[in-house]
Amino acid sequence: MYFRNSVSVPELPLQFVYMAISVVMPALEMAQETGKIVSWLKKEGEAINKGEPLLEVETDKAVVEVEAAADGVLTGVRSHEGDVVAVGVTIAWIVAPGEQPPAESAAAAPAARKVTAQPPVAATAPPAETAGAAEGGPRISPKARRLAKERGVDIRRIRGTGLDGAITSEDVLAAEAPAPPAAPAPPAAALSAIARLMAERTTQSWTQVPHFYLVRDIDAGALLQVREQRMPAIERDRGVKPTHTDLLISLTARVLKEHA
Amino acid sequence: MPEARELTLGEAVREALAEEMRRDPRVFICGEDVAEAGTVFKVLTGLVDEFGKERVLDTPISEAGFTGIAVGAAMTGLRPVVDIMFGDFVTLTMDQMVNQAAKVHYMSGGKWRVPMVMRATLGATRRSAAQHSQSLHAWFCHVPGLKVVLPSTPFDAKGLLKTAIRDDNPVVFFEDKMMYRLKGPVPVEEYTIPFGVADIKRAGSDITIVATSSMVQVALGAAKLLEEVDISAEVIDPRTVWPLDEKTLIASAKKTSRVIVVDEGYGRYGVTAEIASVIAEGAFYDLEAPVKRIGAMHVPIPFSPPLEDATVPTEKSVFEAAKTLVS
Repeated sequence: MYFRNSVSVPELPLQFVYMAISVVMPALEMAQETGKIVSWLKKEGEAINKGEPLLEVETDKAVVEVEAAADGVLTGVRSHEGDVVAVGVTIAWIVAPGEQPPAESAAAAPAARKVTAQPPVAATAPPAETAGAAEGGPRISPKARRLAKERGVDIRRIRGTGLDGAITSEDVLAAEAPAPPAAPAPPAAALSAIARLMAERTTQSWTQVPHFYLVRDIDAGALLQVREQRMPAIERDRGVKPTHTDLLISLTARVLKEHA
Repeated sequence: MPEARELTLGEAVREALAEEMRRDPRVFICGEDVAEAGTVFKVLTGLVDEFGKERVLDTPISEAGFTGIAVGAAMTGLRPVVDIMFGDFVTLTMDQMVNQAAKVHYMSGGKWRVPMVMRATLGATRRSAAQHSQSLHAWFCHVPGLKVVLPSTPFDAKGLLKTAIRDDNPVVFFEDKMMYRLKGPVPVEEYTIPFGVADIKRAGSDITIVATSSMVQVALGAAKLLEEVDISAEVIDPRTVWPLDEKTLIASAKKTSRVIVVDEGYGRYGVTAEIASVIAEGAFYDLEAPVKRIGAMHVPIPFSPPLEDATVPTEKSVFEAAKTLVS
């Protein structure tokens, strides 16, 4: 503030200073990760009013019009028709007339929402047994703890079905009893969000996508031999041990080069 | 066979007063509009005709004054029943009740007693706004020397009020103003209900709902809803919050392993807190989940009907809480 007192700083109109508003790829569905830009309904440099349709976005389910969040001028359009953009990424700016869109570095801030956006969901899910065990043992009701102690049941191998995933006395008694002939599936509540999502997606993939398999026997003797021979040198020069996968990647890359 | 008949809670209170006044000439009533008016709730209608103005005594609007008169009358051999029209105004009687009535027996080495009853009302949803809707009974529970009674049915109201009038200690007797028209069976023949004995209003096995006053009716409604989703709820009414029947509460908690406590007073530092604590201490190793408290929202009670309704426990809120605990 001393600085402002000693140097004359031109007063800027408030609307100019605070104007620039980012247009981001919206999340239009619960599980949406990306959206495809079908068309821009406004052009770069065009004046727009708040609430006017700005662009059309296609999700897995529908094409949706996205409205302008403010009055201003559309500028800095960086994603175009046909582009598939991660949710949360800035695709353009709405600015005051004459204003420049913010610098590239600032615009890059909102990270794409990828699979990494899921851990917060997992954090609010009922703690799985391993998660609970990491912080001084699983969550367990006082009654269940007493019962487990009396009957010598190891609570670390019990999955809780009670309030907030706590182990109840019923869980302890069930764990103590011999396994029933047809073990019931573990309740969905006990799964973490990631585990549940994996199960859903795997089921979806198995039931909705046609599966076919190609099986071919290949004598990889030569490959193994090469690995044995070259390993010591590579390890000495590069400090890594090449795996079979590394070799396969290297071979695939060479083959692709020939057939490009 | 006892004669089967139904009375409202208001009628049961009136009958208890009339019977005790016939039985003991030392019993008298004092308060605002208790005589010709029979109180705004019409609970005392007709008593002045039978017992006269000397025993059904209209007083000025001065709660501190007539409560003090009652304390003195009790110390000198009468058995007054003080009427506080709206329980919110017990605020004005606090010195008489807390520093005088509750202390006299102790400080006189047992030479004096204060066999008085203060009848007051509690309960919201009457659209009476913030100064006429509170449930302040917890205040008295905090003071040694006072007994606190919260009837939930006409039967309990009559039996407990008779016991209160015969008790040699000061008793504060809270009636929910919204329950005066609640009907229930009341035997014709003489009976009293001892203090410190809880009543199991409904037996169940999955969860215990401890409830007081009108919240017992709410709890019974919630128990019905729970039955539809195969949850068996036990509803326990302590009837007197001091003395408190800890044994029955703890036994039920041990049986069901899950407990909700519902009271219309404020939840914070309230009756629910004390009862939940008693249960947590007594039944800890038999609990499957933390004891859940449900009281009035911690706000002045709004005049707006929808807002007022949102501040108090309901069948639905108790039902939802129970379902979550049993999950």
